[in-house]
Amino acid sequence: MLYALLVTGTLLCAGMAIRAKRLLSAALWLAGVSALVSISLYRLGAHEVAVIELSVGAGLVTVLFVFAISLAGEEAMEARAVLPKPVAWGLMIVSAILLGWMTLPLRASEGGPVEQASFATLLWQDRGLDVLVQIVLIFAGVLGVLGLLAEARVPVEMRIVERPAVQPAPPAPARPVSPPAPQPAPREVHV
Amino acid sequence: MTPSPLQIVLVGVIGLLGIGLYGLLVIRNLIKIVVALQILVKAAVLALVAAGYASGHVNLSQSLAATVIVADTIVAVVGIALAVQVRRRFGTLDVKALSTLKG
Amino acid sequence: MPPWLIGLTIGLPWLGAACVWLVGDGRRRAQHAIAVGFAVAAGLAGLALLPFVTKEVALRLPIGGVFGDLTFVPDGLGVFLAVIATVIGSLAVIFSVDYMRGEAQVGRYYALVLIFIGAMAGLVLTGSLLYLFLFWEITAFCSYALISFHNDDPKAVAGGIKALIITSLGGIGLLAGALVLRAYLGSYEISAALASARALPPTVLSLVAFGFLAAAAAKSAQVPFQTWLPDAMEAPTPVSALIHAATMVNAGVYLLARFYPAFAEAPGWRTAVIAVGALSALLAAVLALLADDIKRVLAYSTISQLGYMVYAIGLGAVFASQLHLLSHAVFKALLFLGAGSVIHSIGTRDLQLMGGLGRQMPFVRNVFVVGALALVGVPILNGFWSKELILEAALEHGPWLLFLGVLGAAVTALYTTRLVWLVFFGEPRVQRHAHDAGPAMRVSLGLLALGTLTTWLLAGLLERMLTPCLESACTLGAMVSQVSTAPSTLIALVAIVAGIAGWWWWQGRAFTRSPVLARMAASGFGFEWINKRIVASTRDAASALRALQTGQLNWNVAGIVGGLILVLAILMWSA
Repeated sequence: MLYALLVTGTLLCAGMAIRAKRLLSAALWLAGVSALVSISLYRLGAHEVAVIELSVGAGLVTVLFVFAISLAGEEAMEARAVLPKPVAWGLMIVSAILLGWMTLPLRASEGGPVEQASFATLLWQDRGLDVLVQIVLIFAGVLGVLGLLAEARVPVEMRIVERPAVQPAPPAPARPVSPPAPQPAPREVHV
Repeated sequence: MTPSPLQIVLVGVIGLLGIGLYGLLVIRNLIKIVVALQILVKAAVLALVAAGYASGHVNLSQSLAATVIVADTIVAVVGIALAVQVRRRFGTLDVKALSTLKG
Repeated sequence: MPPWLIGLTIGLPWLGAACVWLVGDGRRRAQHAIAVGFAVAAGLAGLALLPFVTKEVALRLPIGGVFGDLTFVPDGLGVFLAVIATVIGSLAVIFSVDYMRGEAQVGRYYALVLIFIGAMAGLVLTGSLLYLFLFWEITAFCSYALISFHNDDPKAVAGGIKALIITSLGGIGLLAGALVLRAYLGSYEISAALASARALPPTVLSLVAFGFLAAAAAKSAQVPFQTWLPDAMEAPTPVSALIHAATMVNAGVYLLARFYPAFAEAPGWRTAVIAVGALSALLAAVLALLADDIKRVLAYSTISQLGYMVYAIGLGAVFASQLHLLSHAVFKALLFLGAGSVIHSIGTRDLQLMGGLGRQMPFVRNVFVVGALALVGVPILNGFWSKELILEAALEHGPWLLFLGVLGAAVTALYTTRLVWLVFFGEPRVQRHAHDAGPAMRVSLGLLALGTLTTWLLAGLLERMLTPCLESACTLGAMVSQVSTAPSTLIALVAIVAGIAGWWWWQGRAFTRSPVLARMAASGFGFEWINKRIVASTRDAASALRALQTGQLNWNVAGIVGGLILVLAILMWSA
């Protein structure tokens, strides 16, 4: 019963997040989704991950969104979607039905949790590589954001293409540590 | 036949996946697209933990879920940073206006 | 021995291509030297393979999975063609030193030519059908890139694209055949296909056989795909000599010769091959008679001679066709390089603007006449022996087939005499200063002329190499006596003399300059229209597909979701 309530609430919040007119409302509805999902995770027995989900999803990500919205600003946009509505609905419903068909007949195994190590030992010892990768990812993300949000303009000699001011030039993709690479001299040879 | 908790949670997972995908298909604002991505990630985390619950290996699924949360938060962070830069350079966050292909 | 020799034959030109590109266009002399060095080394490596001819797999590189192993089998047919490719390739590269002197982007040119030589060697040496297709497409790409080498000239670009589209569409026939064979026989190996061809159901065998025939016809510029070759003459002349006369267009003939034992029983296949070959031979000969561009005449002549080779394969005389391939490669390369000297020295390709050049360019005139005599089939030169063998095989199958062959020989004699006369003899129609060939050109031309005079002596060696893999062959002595005493030889000689003499009759006729005839010739008797439609519809399809690339994120996500649905559906179906 509790599960049904949680799931319904989650789906409602997610729907409202997608349909929200203002970005700030969308971010807040997303925080609501996070909170409800975190409660579901707790009920399913994953205590530690529920805490992580709550603090990261409802806390960190929401703050991030608010920060971004303050930087980028709200924007009035046409409501008409790029894809025709029936196409979008159709794709979504078909994939949902297929997924449902494949997964819903699953049943939980009888008996409770098997004998296993505690979460901490499992994480740090058995899945130590995962943790290493996460640390690298975090570094990469931080450096990427620093590079992206830097205020410095791209110097003229590193611009890839000189274009008139009307047309926007494509942005350089984010790279964690990218020393400015000198433009190679134009070569005559074409192979 | 009452649905087991696992089945209810799976319905939730599929619903969240559907809503997230629908959002990706329909939304035109870049920052809201990141919101839709986040919804997809929550569905994935829920699915992982539900699988752990079903098979009994709760802690294993928790460690995997933790990794997923970290990775996708980084994705959200970088995506938001990209959106901010796009807004600065092009002046718009509208996906339709951001295509420079001539086709 | 053979494994690394094979690696050298294919790898040396590719290494040379990389070196030429790395040296950069700033150091042209180094580029010329490197290209010549690597090409000659590849030629030597190819020749070094001759003692090691074997039917077993010499080099096997397991790639694994669905691609099968990359095997190389240096059997007689393969090594013979690899030697032609690398040796004539090195001569063409030597010629290019003079021809491309002062041109821009020489690095790109040499790199493409060297890549082509390596790929051609790989094509004939590989034992796996899938990798044969891969090398086939690499040669098609190099051919396109070299035809459009002067990419600021729209005619060159159009010619290159036309060649690419037509030969690639033919290549689909090859790929389809290879996949069907793999589905039925479980392996891509050519040896497996040849051994168990009889085990295939007849419709499947016909499908594969005609698929290969289509691929070979497209690659060797046979009817109905022949119109790309005359338009490919926009390429620099050494490229025309190497790719469009001596090596790449032989790939189709190679394919037919290789698979003849497997497909001979497919109903209607042999007749189709004979028809394609004979039609190409005659149609192209007539078109050569009406052409006014020196390289177009030679292009049509190539189509015609390839038609003879295909015709011979259809008749079952595979040895005769391979001997003619050898002769043709040598004398056609000679003729093209000679034409290249002429073009390089006077700057035009129009026959009506030439004349009397023999006095100013004696060396080129002499070697060109040697090549022309071989093309016509005058005794002692290599073209004579191989053409007579083909005509004899034709006689065995019936007088009508012999008549077609002899008619072709007569028209060949006529257009060749016309060509030689209009370029080198008579009074100059336009006063131009022409210088004789430079030293590098003379080396190539001289060696090729020598080859034209002597390669028929290699018939015995060729027979030993080819007998394990072909069905009909004969020794040198037997060939000489057979050809000298056969009745078809006499008939052919009469026809040739008539053709040569016919030039003086043709010269005076007014109808040869009528505009109707000129229009018909320009449209290739209607075949041009087919190929124009093929090229145009391919480009239209490509333009229409551009609508799929909207550049908008939502459509891209829709594509991803569509893919997801597809994967889920497949998973559910197979579960």
